[in-house]
Amino acid sequence: MNNNEKPFFFTLSNGLRIALKQIRTAPIVSAWVWYNVGSRNEIPGKTGLSHWVEHMQFKGTKNFTGKEMEDTISRTGGYSNALTSPDWTAYYQTLPSIALELALRFEADRMVNSLFDSLEVETERTVILSEREGNENDPQFLLSEAVQQASFKQHPYRNEVLGSTEDLLSLTREDLYGHYRNYYQPSNAMLCLAGSFDLDDILTLVRDCFESIGNTEPIRSIPKPENEIASAERVEVQGPDEANYIQIAWRSPRANDPDFFAYTLIESILSGPSSLNMFGSGGIGNRSSRFYRELVESQLAASAYGSLSASIDPGIYSLSIICREDHSPDEVIARVDQVVDQFLNEKTSVEDQAIALKQARANFAYSSDNITNQAFWLGYANNFADYSWFTDYVARLEQVTAEDILRVARRYLDPAHRVTGVYRNREAANG
Amino acid sequence: MDSRTFDTASLPGSDNIFRKNFSNGSTLLAYPNPTSPAVYFRGYLPVGSLSDPTGKNGLASLHAAMLSTGTQRHEFRELHTLIESCGASLSISSGHLSTIFSGQCLKEDLPLILGLLLEMLSQPSFPQAHFERLKQQLATIFKIQLQDTEEMASQAFDRLYYRGHPYGDPEIGYAHTVANIKLEDLQTFHTRYLGPDGMVIAFSGGMDSEKAADLFQQIFSAWNPPHQQKQKNLPIWQPHRETLREHISIAEKSQTNVIIGTSAPIAMSEEYHVCSLGDSILGQFGMMGRIGESVREHSGLAYYAASSLESGIGPSCWKVFAGVNPNNLEKAIVKIKEELKRFISEPVTEKELTDVRQQALGRLPISLESNAGIARLLISLQRYNLSLDYLRELPAVLESVSTEDILACAQKYWDLDKLVITSAGKTL
Repeated sequence: MNNNEKPFFFTLSNGLRIALKQIRTAPIVSAWVWYNVGSRNEIPGKTGLSHWVEHMQFKGTKNFTGKEMEDTISRTGGYSNALTSPDWTAYYQTLPSIALELALRFEADRMVNSLFDSLEVETERTVILSEREGNENDPQFLLSEAVQQASFKQHPYRNEVLGSTEDLLSLTREDLYGHYRNYYQPSNAMLCLAGSFDLDDILTLVRDCFESIGNTEPIRSIPKPENEIASAERVEVQGPDEANYIQIAWRSPRANDPDFFAYTLIESILSGPSSLNMFGSGGIGNRSSRFYRELVESQLAASAYGSLSASIDPGIYSLSIICREDHSPDEVIARVDQVVDQFLNEKTSVEDQAIALKQARANFAYSSDNITNQAFWLGYANNFADYSWFTDYVARLEQVTAEDILRVARRYLDPAHRVTGVYRNREAANG
Repeated sequence: MDSRTFDTASLPGSDNIFRKNFSNGSTLLAYPNPTSPAVYFRGYLPVGSLSDPTGKNGLASLHAAMLSTGTQRHEFRELHTLIESCGASLSISSGHLSTIFSGQCLKEDLPLILGLLLEMLSQPSFPQAHFERLKQQLATIFKIQLQDTEEMASQAFDRLYYRGHPYGDPEIGYAHTVANIKLEDLQTFHTRYLGPDGMVIAFSGGMDSEKAADLFQQIFSAWNPPHQQKQKNLPIWQPHRETLREHISIAEKSQTNVIIGTSAPIAMSEEYHVCSLGDSILGQFGMMGRIGESVREHSGLAYYAASSLESGIGPSCWKVFAGVNPNNLEKAIVKIKEELKRFISEPVTEKELTDVRQQALGRLPISLESNAGIARLLISLQRYNLSLDYLRELPAVLESVSTEDILACAQKYWDLDKLVITSAGKTL
């Protein structure tokens, strides 16, 4: 982190954690509020609550209408949005430093005062159903949803963050408001600021905005982790799209499991490194990765890419493939098996490991490319570990040995414990 | 009223943007970001799908893709291992007018990556096997596109709106035209058009601007192909004279995409800046402006409904677009037309104008928070022949726009009897 101050962490008396990082390169600041709640904390029949609550947080409070909040941030030239994941919900604004107070007052207000007006709830129901319909247009979304459900038998990671259509039609205003009041508590949140500001002024402002908010510990729905995929399973999805798609999911360790770092290098070698860059310029290509070489370069598939996310509980590492029309999904899957089998039977070379490490160093450097990313990283790692997870990221990767890689690969990439999903054209599938 | 929240002198300008023209016809711009350990670059060569031969649409795009499949010194695997081994990225694609490249690397790897970029641009090997592979991949992409409601609505819009003009054809071509392209066509295209004359490259990141220029000169000065031809001029576009409507039926889709569009002013012209503020009021500001307020917030008809003023060299368009449940398509179109009618019937309010003006001004420093954002700005300065002090001058331009100016532009460009409306989704 060149030329930047070290972050400053403290906790308010109501339990709200604060992270501040001064970056003087431009007169702007990025403010994030993270809540430790996501679809992981939802129960059957109530899927989609966290995401819908996130939408309602833009609909107004006792003190401001939703439009006032949106317009006020827009007027500064800044941008704001929110994200809901399985593990967390985050709200952010990047805006001129001079306008930071506005953003903090809005965030403090909607931590406790959101209205959840009944009419707004109904309007937003159709908006979210429309969001889901847009996703359902994509065969890869449908396949991914089926693979997710097969990868977890009970754990809420099996559910789409958006929620099921059935649940979205039945959730009530009381469900949403109850979820909001339970989880949107100072002790369940973290405020992260990165950018140009005066530390003393900001401490005073943060206390003024947030310290008077009362705290009640949330009653949490904490799921039991599913440490492995019980057996090999295959799911088929059919639809009108002519291309064939494959998604294969293997279990991945939770992010603060020491094995996660070896898994990160495995991902890099097999399918290319995942970008650490949430915003701004993109990551590194994957044309030198094993799956690309064996699937795309060898003309079996049109594309192949992997995805590994840091999660609180064990998650999935997935490989997504678009098949070429002249090769069947089964041919492609057989080649995936060969690649994995070879990987499980030989130690990674020093060269391959060095490349994966260099890629990680570069990704780490790109992740500090802009202020919004830096504020993101102040809070993100706290959802599953703490900030040192991020700052020690490269050092932890450097400690991984070839033996670690082989051991972790053998533990997690077992073909007897994975889900294979295939999307086929309905007419072709039915002969 | 001065509504700036920052000192305009702090924006990049003629005193800190480095620009240099080289004898081979290329131009370099650079803006240092000393805190960054990385360098981002972006640029273009002045040839694109406008130069596709008749019946071979997609040739420039396929050519650009082939530049990444190997050089006379490095075959595909070796080339990409070199790039990815140092955690860099390097990509080349094609638009209607340009072959566009971009890359990112740690600053110590810049000499290697620029050297590889030169190889890819000047000495591609055009391997037959990769040519066949890319054509097969394109065949798959065309099939995927046929089921993509957003893509099909967009292609139908371009086809109707730019009738007979090269912008009406997608850059990647069509399945039947790509099938006509031979490897020799790519080689001919390369020999004819690729060269440094007209090339623009912009750098931003942790490098010294003059050192970047020296490095670029050292690597690229030897590139002087003897017969580089200029691309033909863009033909004149004739606006349509009536409302045109087309729906593309795609079975079993749960969402329909709709686009309603009209003509737009020349990019970066005085009228463009007026329309840009108007567009923000129409479908950008806050939760997607007036359009978002009506279609999403009040009616719940769509997850997104917004507007966009496009910019580019030559003709462009001003669009409203939305993704809606198929049963709500006509309702959404009615709502959008109501907002368009209001937009051309009465001036926007002073408050709306103040809001979007402040937004446009405040956005200037924020759009430059990343190396990529800065490089994109530098490219725009060159492409649109703008002053290096453009950003510093822009606030005064925006502050001079009145509500009457916006109404006049709205009325000039949004003729509700001459709209192009396309949609794609479930059969109507």
